Amino acid sequence: MNRFRRIVLWAALTLIILLIFLSIYGAFIGAERAKAFFNSLPLSICWIALILLLITGIWVFSRLIHIPGLLFMHAGCVLILTGAVCSSQAGHKLQSKLFGIDKIPSGQMIIFEGASENRVALEGDDQVRELPFYAKLKDFRIEYYKPEYLYIQNREGKNWKIPVQINTEFSLGDDIGTVRIVTKFENFKIKIEGDERVFYDDPQPGLNPALEVEIKSPDGQVTARYVFERFPGHIHPGDNFLLSYQRVISEYISELQIIRDDEVVAEKNIEVNHPLHFGGYHFYQADYDNKAGQYTILMVISDTGITIVYAGYLMLCVGVFWHFWIKHLFTVKKTNGN
Amino acid sequence: MEIKYTIQGLLIYIAITAYLLAFLVTLLRRKKAGHILYIFGFIAAVLSFVYRWYDVHHVPLQNLFEVFLCLGMVCYPVSWFCRRMLRVGGGCGDMLIGAVVLFPAGFVFNAQPQHLPPALQSWLFVPHVAVYAISYIFMTKAAFQAVQQLAGIAPNPDENLLPPEEATYRMICVGFPLLTLGLILGSWWGKLAWGDYWGWDPKELWSLASWLVYVGYFHFRYMFGKKHPRINSAWAVAGILVIVITLLWVNLSRLFPGLHSYAI
Repeated sequence: MNRFRRIVLWAALTLIILLIFLSIYGAFIGAERAKAFFNSLPLSICWIALILLLITGIWVFSRLIHIPGLLFMHAGCVLILTGAVCSSQAGHKLQSKLFGIDKIPSGQMIIFEGASENRVALEGDDQVRELPFYAKLKDFRIEYYKPEYLYIQNREGKNWKIPVQINTEFSLGDDIGTVRIVTKFENFKIKIEGDERVFYDDPQPGLNPALEVEIKSPDGQVTARYVFERFPGHIHPGDNFLLSYQRVISEYISELQIIRDDEVVAEKNIEVNHPLHFGGYHFYQADYDNKAGQYTILMVISDTGITIVYAGYLMLCVGVFWHFWIKHLFTVKKTNGN
Repeated sequence: MEIKYTIQGLLIYIAITAYLLAFLVTLLRRKKAGHILYIFGFIAAVLSFVYRWYDVHHVPLQNLFEVFLCLGMVCYPVSWFCRRMLRVGGGCGDMLIGAVVLFPAGFVFNAQPQHLPPALQSWLFVPHVAVYAISYIFMTKAAFQAVQQLAGIAPNPDENLLPPEEATYRMICVGFPLLTLGLILGSWWGKLAWGDYWGWDPKELWSLASWLVYVGYFHFRYMFGKKHPRINSAWAVAGILVIVITLLWVNLSRLFPGLHSYAI
């Protein structure tokens, strides 16, 4: 092995060890700070050095050119790192300067039900920029796993899990009595009519899920209780039971339309794991109005560089499996054949 | 310590006991009886995994309890494959590994069934976790061989098995593509679920560190071959240490809050 190749190999090994320690350091400082750290100028130089070293390696080691698996692995890493540079904030700025393509790298947009929006609040910045098209939110909804449950605990620490079925009576045991869920509210409200308090389900925007529960003791005494999903552990001094109403979210769904020149050009129900891709951007379900469920918050991310990263992933995968697995399977088959 | 007085728990305890007995019996040179016990433990581990699947209505790979259950089940087929196809021994150690990985599932982690949160409802969920689980078993076997190399233990010449240094290399060659695939599938899934193919999350960074340790191993071994076998073995041992941190410490410690916290 000549001197230059040896230097390249030592440089590669040193950079690998350095990256191991930097990754471990990054894990200790948390995702936000790690992101800033790995995008800082010294680390950017480190990434570019790694890309150059990989290219140099492919150039000086004929083994890397002649063995397809090794070539794919190293070229795949070059593509992944190049794609990552392109998709970074700095990559977007460079793209804007060189080619005049001015895309929003990433940001968030808030869209109310029935409204259209094209403004994006940029990430890590107070700036707002506009997309060249509008996104309209037809509807936002949250779906829950069925059945929902009412959880009951008595003062002795005994627990029950009751499915939410209106007017079905469940026994808690002969010495405790029965429980029945009378009403289910999506937006529980109280109003005063005359001298009486009236509990009702308000159709106006708002979220206050609750259950009206009736507990009947063995001697026939009936107690009415209201259980609120948002106020777990709510208990009065004289209560014998701690009640809680819990629902598990199965999906957040934003029904979205993309509108350009007053025409609907794309439409999709955006869910977690199912983003919408349009006009060089991906739209993701990020958050929602947890007080009234009236708006959704979407994350908007530019797709610049992602194709290069995915091509790199494919090459790396093909390379490792070819080199470490498939090549050997063929060798074994050939040996057996001979 | 949490003892599980359930059918699930019973199956796990049967598997642990069978694996431990298999290990002891094999140590006492009763190989055939040890192998039968090993198979019996494997069947109990499979039953335990299937029971869990039936109980939670999705492939049980959601949290650490389920992942360790899976690891306990994967041990035997990996062990069989390595011996038959790769001439890599360590069957006795594999029995112990089986018992060790099932121990946290039986006595430490909570087995309360959970619904899948929206982020986990993806077709990438099962392949991502499954390839990682299988690669971890291969890498554990690699570390076991590396320790044997460091301790100067050689296989019985009659058994036609590879010496520990070569066996370590072969194990890493099989496990590394799976480790790479797990990392790439995770990154792709992150892009679909959270918008970023790389979020600098502690779990992601530890997984990258473990991948890089094996990349370092290959480069070091290419540079020096078998000239420094102890250093080659040290890389493999370092790899498994980083994997253990990735799998356990990142999820259990409050030092590393992140997007993978649900996997407890």
